[in-house]
Amino acid sequence: MSHPLLEKDLLSTCVHCGFCLEVCPTYRLTGDENNSPRGRLRLWREEAAGRLARDPETDFYTSECVGCLACEPVCPAGVAYGDILEQTRHEHVSAGRFHPKPELRLAAQAVRYPALFNAALAPARALRSLGFFPHPLIFPGRPHVTESTAAYARRLMMLHKPTGPRVALLTGCLMEAMFREINFATVRVLIDNNIQVVIPDEQGCCGAFHEHTGLDGVDELREQNRRAFLPLAVDAAVSNSAGCGLALKKTLAPDMPVRDVLEFLGEIGIKAREPRGGRVYVDLPCHLVHGQRSPGIPAAVLDATGYQWELAPCAKDCCGSGGIYNIQKPKNAREILAKKSAFLNEAEGDPIILATSNHVCMMQWNSAKSLVKRPFRVAHVIQLLDPNCRPSK
Amino acid sequence: MTPPINAVVAALHRAAPGSRVMMSPAQMAGYESDGLGYKSFRPDLVVIPSDADELAQVVRVLHDARVPICLRGAGTSLSGGPVAAQGGAIVHTSKLRAIREISLDGFWCEVESGVNLRQLDEALQPSGLCYPPDPSSGPVCTIGGNVASNAGGAHCFRYGVTSNYVLGLEVVLLDGSTHRFGGPAGGNGPWLEDWKRLMIGSEGTLGAFTRFWLRLTPRPEKVWTFRATYPDLQSTERAIHGLVRHPAFPVAIELMDPRAVALVETSSMAVGLPKGHFLIVTEIDGPAALVDLRVESVAEVLRSAGSADVLFSDKAEDRENLFKARKAMGGLLGQVSPDFLVQDAVIPKRALANLLQLIYDEADRAGVPAVTVMHAGDGNLHPNFLFDSRIPEEVKKVEGISKRLMQRVVEVGGALSGEHGIGNDKSAYMPMVFGPESMHLQLAIPQIFNPRHQFNPMKVFTERRFVA
Ligand SMILES: Cc1cc2nc3c(=O)[nH]c(=O)nc-3n(C[C@H](O)[C@H](O)[C@H](O)COP(=O)(O)OP(=O)(O)OC[C@H]3O[C@@H](n4cnc5c(N)ncnc54)[C@H](O)[C@@H]3O)c2cc1C
Ligand code: SF4
Ligand code: SF4
Repeated sequence: MSHPLLEKDLLSTCVHCGFCLEVCPTYRLTGDENNSPRGRLRLWREEAAGRLARDPETDFYTSECVGCLACEPVCPAGVAYGDILEQTRHEHVSAGRFHPKPELRLAAQAVRYPALFNAALAPARALRSLGFFPHPLIFPGRPHVTESTAAYARRLMMLHKPTGPRVALLTGCLMEAMFREINFATVRVLIDNNIQVVIPDEQGCCGAFHEHTGLDGVDELREQNRRAFLPLAVDAAVSNSAGCGLALKKTLAPDMPVRDVLEFLGEIGIKAREPRGGRVYVDLPCHLVHGQRSPGIPAAVLDATGYQWELAPCAKDCCGSGGIYNIQKPKNAREILAKKSAFLNEAEGDPIILATSNHVCMMQWNSAKSLVKRPFRVAHVIQLLDPNCRPSK
Repeated sequence: MTPPINAVVAALHRAAPGSRVMMSPAQMAGYESDGLGYKSFRPDLVVIPSDADELAQVVRVLHDARVPICLRGAGTSLSGGPVAAQGGAIVHTSKLRAIREISLDGFWCEVESGVNLRQLDEALQPSGLCYPPDPSSGPVCTIGGNVASNAGGAHCFRYGVTSNYVLGLEVVLLDGSTHRFGGPAGGNGPWLEDWKRLMIGSEGTLGAFTRFWLRLTPRPEKVWTFRATYPDLQSTERAIHGLVRHPAFPVAIELMDPRAVALVETSSMAVGLPKGHFLIVTEIDGPAALVDLRVESVAEVLRSAGSADVLFSDKAEDRENLFKARKAMGGLLGQVSPDFLVQDAVIPKRALANLLQLIYDEADRAGVPAVTVMHAGDGNLHPNFLFDSRIPEEVKKVEGISKRLMQRVVEVGGALSGEHGIGNDKSAYMPMVFGPESMHLQLAIPQIFNPRHQFNPMKVFTERRFVA
């Protein structure tokens, strides 16, 4: 027993029942068992045990995994697939068996220095706020170019002096640098519901980016966030991105509860907006329902948006975003999205809004605009609850 | 002489250009086992045909090249069926997933062999129809695998197993020719009638199924679920006996032994069952007015047999809770043990005490944990032996116990398999059940369809070895 995964006995927990096959997007796409959770686990185990030589196909199938974690909740044996994948990815990147794209490597470095990253993306924010969206993954929105979410939250707290529960908000790296308007909306909704918002200054990227790519840096980022969050006297840490929320949960457990902001709002009860026209189709992020094992976005919260809403068909299935999957494996990601978004062509309602609760899923859905033959908008559910603004057109 | 593998691959590409052909060692590793994960056989080739026509071409090429051919659906078999026991090619039906027709007035559907049970159920839901066989692997297992192993499930006590629902099937024979046995009308006629029956349960040894016509039934209007525990085997047997004779004709009668109950109760899935007790879960279904009328008398059967805690409900959520302990079992085995081997004997109900005692004695002597569940209505006994396949002595112990258990099953007049099939796991026990004449007759059938045992060699009968 020399391989670390064998020593921890993680790989031997799979009893090969096959229950994970049908939930796996890459198995459904290819019909190839090697491209399924059971197949990947078998390949890793055989190699770790010395029964299979290092093989480029093992590297390929490892790289194919979206990391959606749909295979975890259906597994009767409780295989910790996400942990095993994370370790294996990291090992493959370190050994040069997997090469994250250069832009992802660069971004992984950059997000370790939030101030720099925010400054570097100021021009992109400026372009977005002027209504210019140069890339299919960049969805429309009007972020503030200069004021940070932390400064904004302090300003609003002084103004409204909420007295309810106190939460620490994770502002994220890409969310803050590029899609800051969602953070602003989150602060507004929380404060409008009498919740006190604290934004720890020393917080860093949640590390999910590094987990997905297998690049170094996860441990340092987790440590940084433990230092930033744990000393705070708050009822919970909250996140407005399912993927970042999952990473923060792993970071702060068991010392501080981490909640998805919509779940948190669902529990304390939330002000409803006026009824509005249009139809909202809600897609559930994988890292919310599979990763965090949440039952979904609370119905009471969706009702409070004032929109008529329903879950998108197969709402719990992956949209192909997978954090960085749509950049690393654009062809697969697009095929997954094409199947998933086809319903919008026939969907009832006008206008239609596709709403979810993770910015990287929003990016992926935005790129479906070239697949779907009618216009639709992409929004974060928190934006639909925002007292100030309606989702951008 | 068998041609070199590269020539076979080239011929496959020519004959079936839309299909995937794989042969790297890592790609073979993913296909080396089924649900009996500890036994592995690495194939030389894996082919994923793009459709039924290409599947026929693939079979023809492999036949000509004298390569063993093993069909695979979802690979959930628990008996070592869809594995390349003698090397050769795995033909995976994962791309044959079309539900081609649902006939509302004919009460049948036409599906390809790689369609899985959940997919079919979702497609049938709006119509109010259902396909009753319900193996617990339903979320993944394919109709092809179900027909090849004549799968059963908890509710097959009343509804019957897969063979009761196959109206017809299409099969590719060894030379690549396609044949139909039966069809939507069931294939009536004096001679044709049950040719299809020969194919059902043939475990991939006679041909490759490509599509099926399946009989459908109306979805039951209402279901009641009952749960009761019993302090001893005598009262448990009284309850089973009472249920099978009850005019309400329960759809399922599921049993867990005290060791299985203890496993659930010491886990996070605990539901508060009393220690050392047997558990029975049973269901009745049908038109609401009718089943509502029968609830009390079924509860009375359970009580009068000696249960002090009979619970029942018709509410979906409560019903799920009542079934929870039974449904949690499969997963719990995986959580507490790296491997488990489940046996699948069918026994006369009167022999239950005899066999449970043997299981306990053997398991305790060997220090191997064993938990037993049973489709009690059908006498289909599933003892699960927990072990670690990385420790050779444990494998030996478990295989030894299985063999002695099977010997006893045969002595009491039982059968080797109720639903999982023989595969390569139980093939060595066949001569214990069948005498030389019966074996000879059974082996005469593959002689016609598959004379050299090129389809799924080394399965069902150990003498089925392919000689190129
Ligand atoms: C957790 C768990 C629970 C289970 N519960 C049940 C249960 O309740 N009842 C039950 O009956 N079984 C059960 N099983 C066993 C298994 O699911 C069934 O045997 C199922 O029918 C296998 O279907 P499959 O698609 O996985 O077929 P596979 O495992 O791929 O193959 C099974 C056999 O069918 C042959 N085959 C597959 N496709 C074709 C084809 N197209 N043409 C010809 N031959 C073919 C294969 O060669 C093999 O011999 C369970 C298994 C697991 C892992
Ligand atoms: S994480 Fe998603 S893509 Fe990866 S194996 Fe699991 S289900 Fe498949
Ligand atoms: S569901 Fe879990 S135990 Fe079953 S094959 Fe998949 S990973 Fe293994």
